Amino acid sequence: MSDFDFIVVGAGPAGSSAAIRLATAGSSVLLVERADPPGSKAVSGGILWGRDLDGLIPDWEKSAPVERYIDFKSTSFLTRDSKISIDFRSKKFEEKKTGYSVLRAKLDQFLALKAKAAGATLVTGITVDSLARKENRIVGVVQDGDTITSDAVILAEGANPRVAIESGLREPLRDRDCAIGIKQIVKLSEATVNERFNLTGNSGYAGEFALGYLEGGVRAGGFLYTNKDSLSIGVVIAMENLRANGSTYSYDIMEKFMEHPYVKPLVEGGRVQEYSAHLVPEGGIDSMPKLFGDGYLIAGDSASMTFSNGMIIQGMNYAIASGAMAADSLLEAAKKKDFSGAALSSYQDRLEHSQVLMDLRKFRGIDKVTWSRLVHEVAPGMMENILFSMFYEDGNPKKHLAEIILGSLSKANMKRSELIMETYRMLRRM
Amino acid sequence: MEVEEKLALLNYKTDPSYAHITVKPSICDVCPDHFCTFACPAKCYQLIEGKLNFKYEDCVECGTCIIACSHDSVTWTNPKGGQGIKYKFG
Repeated sequence: MSDFDFIVVGAGPAGSSAAIRLATAGSSVLLVERADPPGSKAVSGGILWGRDLDGLIPDWEKSAPVERYIDFKSTSFLTRDSKISIDFRSKKFEEKKTGYSVLRAKLDQFLALKAKAAGATLVTGITVDSLARKENRIVGVVQDGDTITSDAVILAEGANPRVAIESGLREPLRDRDCAIGIKQIVKLSEATVNERFNLTGNSGYAGEFALGYLEGGVRAGGFLYTNKDSLSIGVVIAMENLRANGSTYSYDIMEKFMEHPYVKPLVEGGRVQEYSAHLVPEGGIDSMPKLFGDGYLIAGDSASMTFSNGMIIQGMNYAIASGAMAADSLLEAAKKKDFSGAALSSYQDRLEHSQVLMDLRKFRGIDKVTWSRLVHEVAPGMMENILFSMFYEDGNPKKHLAEIILGSLSKANMKRSELIMETYRMLRRM
Repeated sequence: MEVEEKLALLNYKTDPSYAHITVKPSICDVCPDHFCTFACPAKCYQLIEGKLNFKYEDCVECGTCIIACSHDSVTWTNPKGGQGIKYKFG
């Protein structure tokens, strides 16, 4: 007889979603979280996309601690002097809300308490050291020398999954698997946030940026999201390029973003309330470990379930969805009392038929686009040249747009054939 | 704003008896790149007079350093008993 039917390691969106589903179905669940309170070690890019919580917490939009719903989505290329943006705002988002800015210290605590309310045993401030094995199957967790047993374990540890790695259930992370995320919370008044981003009521702005002005081959993206009365602003830095550069400090890139001439006015006068850093899973399906085995399942960031095409960054939605599907697979396995890898492979099937693995399969290799030289070094400069030529009136006869584009092509720091190929690859992968 | 000032804003519950990250001086002393000093967002790794100085107390538990170090010097474990970084916003 096991101590619990199931143990979930990690009370983030993936783990708490799994625990809510399992406990609601009447299973005994231990939800164990090393942070106390839950969420106090979590950092997110900032936007919860999608409606995956609908099936777990029906009234979540009213009861969850969300900051603002996103009705203003922006993607920008920054050069040293310029900003080129595609902005999309729509009243349609007011009726069909699809993204919310969130702060994880609040959201994770809310989700963990929902799991507790559903009947899960929530323990916080407890670090799982390793997994308990019997023959080759996972039969529980070990904490401070004590073994707590269960029929199966869900590993939902987040982006730096020490237990999964130390147990050999996933490979150690490499440069291509993760980027370095650095974020700051900048306090402003609610009125100032509304004024600066042209927002009304509870609507919010979510901006992604390609930082095309970094030197020495360093590549990073920026993000800026509005909370109720603060901003979440941060950078995501490619490990590989930072390593190749060898002389740039990650934390200086955060400052370079904050100091860009068209970012600075947005944060001006704000007080930095918090500085944080977190790994950001990259690499998608190519970084994904085996998702199940005898007595265990892996969900969320621990399984590299994040998506970014440079215009939108998602992860919490996949975490919630995968946590719920992991729970469904365990509940199904419990009917036959079979927790072998073969029985738990239904988790993979569920994911394959869901947005999670369909997206990650379809967009395999998208990271090669989002981190490409084209996006970070060539395109921003070219667009700047084109637009500046169009809008700068110098009294000379005007050129056709095609002439301007061809002119900027010859000035681009990339061979024309390569540029065409790269652009084609980018469009195909996006 | 300097990183030191930013780190000073944070709450930690430091475990004085357990360093959750350790490095091997024998490896760091002869390291050709010290990429950890560039990668770590919390400036836990610093070169002082050419010698690597590591302090776990300022660590925000991101996990960057274990990927950054390609010389197998870093051992990374989770802090115990709810200790370490305590974000208010996340």
